[in-house]
Amino acid sequence: MDALVAEHLTKVYRGRTAAVPALDGVDLAIPTGRLFGLLGRNGAGKTTFIKIAATLLVPTAGRIELFGHDVVAEPRAVRPLIALVPQEGRPFYHMTPREHIVEYLRARGESGSVARGRAAEIIGAMGLTGFAEEPSYRLSGGQQQRTLVAMILATEAPFLFLDEPTLGMDPFARRQVWEVIRRVTAKGSTVLLTTHYLDEAEQLTEDLAVVEAGHVLYRGSPENLKARVGREVRLQFSAGVTAAELAPFGRVLTDRGRSVVLTQRGAVRELTQLALERGAEVTVGPVTLEEAFLELVGRGIEEEETA
Amino acid sequence: MSVALQFRAIGRICYFNGLLPLWRSPLLVMAVFLTPFSFLFFLFVIGASTDSDLFPYGVVGGILFTALFTGNGMLNDCAYLRLERQLQQVFVASPVSSFAYVLGMALSELAFTLPALALFLGILTIVHPITPGAFGILVGVVLLTWLMATTLGFLISTLFRQLREIWPIGTLVFSSLAVLPPLFYPIRAIPESARWATFLAPSTFAGQLADWAVGLPNGTISPAPLGSPLVDLAGLAAATLFFALAAAFLARWREP
Repeated sequence: MDALVAEHLTKVYRGRTAAVPALDGVDLAIPTGRLFGLLGRNGAGKTTFIKIAATLLVPTAGRIELFGHDVVAEPRAVRPLIALVPQEGRPFYHMTPREHIVEYLRARGESGSVARGRAAEIIGAMGLTGFAEEPSYRLSGGQQQRTLVAMILATEAPFLFLDEPTLGMDPFARRQVWEVIRRVTAKGSTVLLTTHYLDEAEQLTEDLAVVEAGHVLYRGSPENLKARVGREVRLQFSAGVTAAELAPFGRVLTDRGRSVVLTQRGAVRELTQLALERGAEVTVGPVTLEEAFLELVGRGIEEEETA
Repeated sequence: MSVALQFRAIGRICYFNGLLPLWRSPLLVMAVFLTPFSFLFFLFVIGASTDSDLFPYGVVGGILFTALFTGNGMLNDCAYLRLERQLQQVFVASPVSSFAYVLGMALSELAFTLPALALFLGILTIVHPITPGAFGILVGVVLLTWLMATTLGFLISTLFRQLREIWPIGTLVFSSLAVLPPLFYPIRAIPESARWATFLAPSTFAGQLADWAVGLPNGTISPAPLGSPLVDLAGLAAATLFFALAAAFLARWREP
């Protein structure tokens, strides 16, 4: 059964001078219990989709259901089933992380003992113990973000919307958050996650959609997306090897001033030989989701510009 | 979520947005108290130099000013939580109803002002002793005024997308309701032919009703029904109902 079904979902914002389309007929279904990634560039329509699904925003056209309830017509039936980490949210300045979790859970109807128990559990799991009793104005930006994410994940709501939940967190904190997200998914929650960290999407999601300019460009697993690139490995070269020399071997990209080629396994020997001749360093690894994303969205942009 | 659970949500929001910051930063009470007390101080100085007894009017004005400025607090808090912290969105996407959120926030604003209200009431009982009945009516007027102001504050908070746009609007609206109308001074200070115009601000009904309840004389007001306590009560109740309904139907809990 699908937890979320969107059909021809459309949203057009009224701008000062013209209408601004944000979603253009999005069709998307997210199975129950899935950790689902929604990827796209800034302004692609991810947050608009989440806002509509989380009952914050009314769509211009189309239909969206959550656990069989019409999100537009039955928001009161939907809201007990959801929780949301908003993009760039911040906690209350005067409350501690523990108070955030306990008070939010109690406001949602949980008993005091359940709220305190879940707070203790998630504070430990998300590495908040050292500052659990500090008011949030004393916390760093990353710690504040962790507080907000902990507050929402502790709800264990059937459907969790996480809009860039690890923004501003250090790599250790991100991994702790990932672990808790996996845990709540294992307990039965369905999670819709947006992120610009594609390593995060690769680590966490088993299923994803890529949106660009309000359209769904891709829907499937991260592995299939990488397979669509049509290349098996990436080789990154230090200075000394030019893009022109790499072009015959596959798709050439530039990453922080270094040439990268996406190619087949059979070309690795020849390319490493080339690097040795030039005295260049070469790093060999699998094609990443980031490259697959850039390839897909880049092609999408080209097609749109051509049209 | 059941009605009982919505009431629990109201209590929790009042606790963590009102009582908790009050407990942790008691100096916030001073901020609430300072502006109306400054007006009262001026009235005391003017009264001493002109031999007029404006002070009891000023104390009643201070009580109503404090109740009205819960609306400004509501406006700023709700706008801040929605636009700056994105926390209203966290409550929209939850079983907490818009009614529970608004009432919880409004009660938290009232909690902030309770010490100041108690202080003004204490001053009033010293300078102008009142009966228990008058005290009851005054409390009723304060509650209606609080409800009117906070629902108006919430409504305005949802209509804007920038905090910088909201700040001047709050000052404009609530100063117009709390400073200009005859709350700190008797309506007889205004020329008789223009007194009716002060009722365009619904807070005038509150001021007149409160003055009547505590036994402070006011001048005649025409046309005739104005100036009657029953009309004042009806006017205040109607304004409160109007803003509550406007907030219920026009405030943007979910954005269009």
